[in-house]
Amino acid sequence: MRKLLLGTTAVVGAALLAPAVAVAQQAPTVRVGGYFRAYFGYTQQTGQAPTNVSMNAQNGGANDANSAVGNTNQSARLGKTDISTDAEIHVFVNGKTANGLTYGAVVEMQFDSAEGSVRGGARRAVQSKTTAAIDEMYAFIASPTLGQIRFGDEDGPFGGLMNTGWVSNFGTGGVFGDFESFVTRPTRTGTTPGGVGDNSKIVYLSPQFFGFDVGVSYAPNEGEGEDTGCLNSFASTNCDRVTAITNPQGNGRSHDMPGRRNEVQWMARWRGSLAGVGLSASVGGMHSQVIKNIDLAGNINRNLRNPEVYQAGLQATYMGFTLGGGYMFGNTNFFYIPTLRGSKDMSQIFGGLSYTAGPVSIGANMYSGQYSGSDANPRGQRRWAYSIGANYRLAPGLDLVAEYVRQEFKEPGTPQQGFTAANAAPGNDLRDRASANVFLTGVRLAF
Amino acid sequence: MKHLFLAACTVLPLMAGCSAENRRLVQNDEYGDWRGSSVRNRPSGASSGLVIFGVDKERQEREAAAAGGGSGLAVNAYLWRATLDTLAFMPLASADPFGGTIITDWYAPPASQNERFRAQAYVMGRQLRSDGVRVQVFRQVQERGQWVDAPVSAATNSEFEDKVLARARELRSQSAAR
Repeated sequence: MRKLLLGTTAVVGAALLAPAVAVAQQAPTVRVGGYFRAYFGYTQQTGQAPTNVSMNAQNGGANDANSAVGNTNQSARLGKTDISTDAEIHVFVNGKTANGLTYGAVVEMQFDSAEGSVRGGARRAVQSKTTAAIDEMYAFIASPTLGQIRFGDEDGPFGGLMNTGWVSNFGTGGVFGDFESFVTRPTRTGTTPGGVGDNSKIVYLSPQFFGFDVGVSYAPNEGEGEDTGCLNSFASTNCDRVTAITNPQGNGRSHDMPGRRNEVQWMARWRGSLAGVGLSASVGGMHSQVIKNIDLAGNINRNLRNPEVYQAGLQATYMGFTLGGGYMFGNTNFFYIPTLRGSKDMSQIFGGLSYTAGPVSIGANMYSGQYSGSDANPRGQRRWAYSIGANYRLAPGLDLVAEYVRQEFKEPGTPQQGFTAANAAPGNDLRDRASANVFLTGVRLAF
Repeated sequence: MKHLFLAACTVLPLMAGCSAENRRLVQNDEYGDWRGSSVRNRPSGASSGLVIFGVDKERQEREAAAAGGGSGLAVNAYLWRATLDTLAFMPLASADPFGGTIITDWYAPPASQNERFRAQAYVMGRQLRSDGVRVQVFRQVQERGQWVDAPVSAATNSEFEDKVLARARELRSQSAAR
């Protein structure tokens, strides 16, 4: 077996490195790109008037004068208007060797590393909302005959690279767009391909054969970036390489904590045209092991299910119209969070329609899904959203955008997050459903 | 998992052997781009952003197409005109702007009537680049009334090419200044 493996690897290596065609070597170029966008948003949302509820010491960190009262109950009110700005700076390195291999690296800097923070950040022990961080960073080597390998912090074939049916080429992307910048949790985001995350991985992307191409990726865990991830000076729960933590069913199921291990993503895609209609179809999945439970005595058992999610999508383009949709199902919760045995499985449909004529694009899209929600509730949770939006291309890269998004969720019998019967008070929203409406308009410049 | 990996290792070299007709490298801008849960909606791929280091080939191609596109030339207009200018002191035998070839007739310098020269120049592609022109000079000397082939000094061809490139640069800077 090993001999066979080594033999085939040698063949692959020889084919990859063989100077099949003589092409001029090109010195690498370094490009700087990115985007800036600023939107004015008008938000109508439920759960914006908490009265006499615990704010969980989130006032301003340890240096804040109010930290002492953080655990005491407080009240707050939110208005409706806001302006949200965001930018990313991307560095692209591209080169070509004499034997036709193209190579390069992508480093993307983002400035929204904290969803919430104190004003300004001066003299605080907490980071500013606009602290710079890395979004994606990876290197790639591509051969015209064998395809491409990407190595680094990057989306996988299932998690954003090769998905079909998520129509988002209008406005900011509709229900898959930037409305979430204005919305407080829990009615904030949908379960989209990008939600899988860009944890450090190795990705193989094949060339296209007869319209088909495939992608496969492997990630050892959900960690990204340079270091070990350990918050303590010893092996502990936040380390990238952690395999078992205490009580993961209670603590480990969010993007903040380790969850998936040995994650494999795959996607197969076909693109072509029939009678002038551009068609694209894809099917793929994500499979991984899950973080295990370890008790204080060191006994290990698995109480979460190994995540296994599948997705299929279809998209057609004709005369400027794009129509697409698809279905995703698996044993994870929303945001691909691992679930308990016996929990309700995820089942989500998504779709959209857009029309582009010259500089104008208009469109609408939606998703609707069933998830386990808080696992104690056997009825599960439903989330759905729909949108309509448009953009006008004023100049290459410069878009004027307007969009309306409505997102809702309901989980019968479970009150909104942060609003429980225990802190019932006048104005508190104890309903088991929540909704958010966002109208946003503004400008986006991609460069 | 192991089987999948082994299958991939076996199939890849076979796929590489498929005919090139139905195979193509998928470009970077054909993959989706997400930032967190939302789509990024910006151009991606090898032509993203502004070049701050290195040579912007695409811009060269655009400019060459703009420079040559209007005149019906299939080759870089600056290199083509520069080659014609450089070889203008010799009589022209043929010039094909689509194939990019310029062939001169024999030319004997007034100062040395016992030798004569002929040049062939090839302008390659639409891009203005240093390897976009090739010049080959032939030389004959007269011996007892017969023209016989004689070697050309090795530097002659590259000196001609340098002159063409210098002239092309001049033409380009002139047109840019307008």
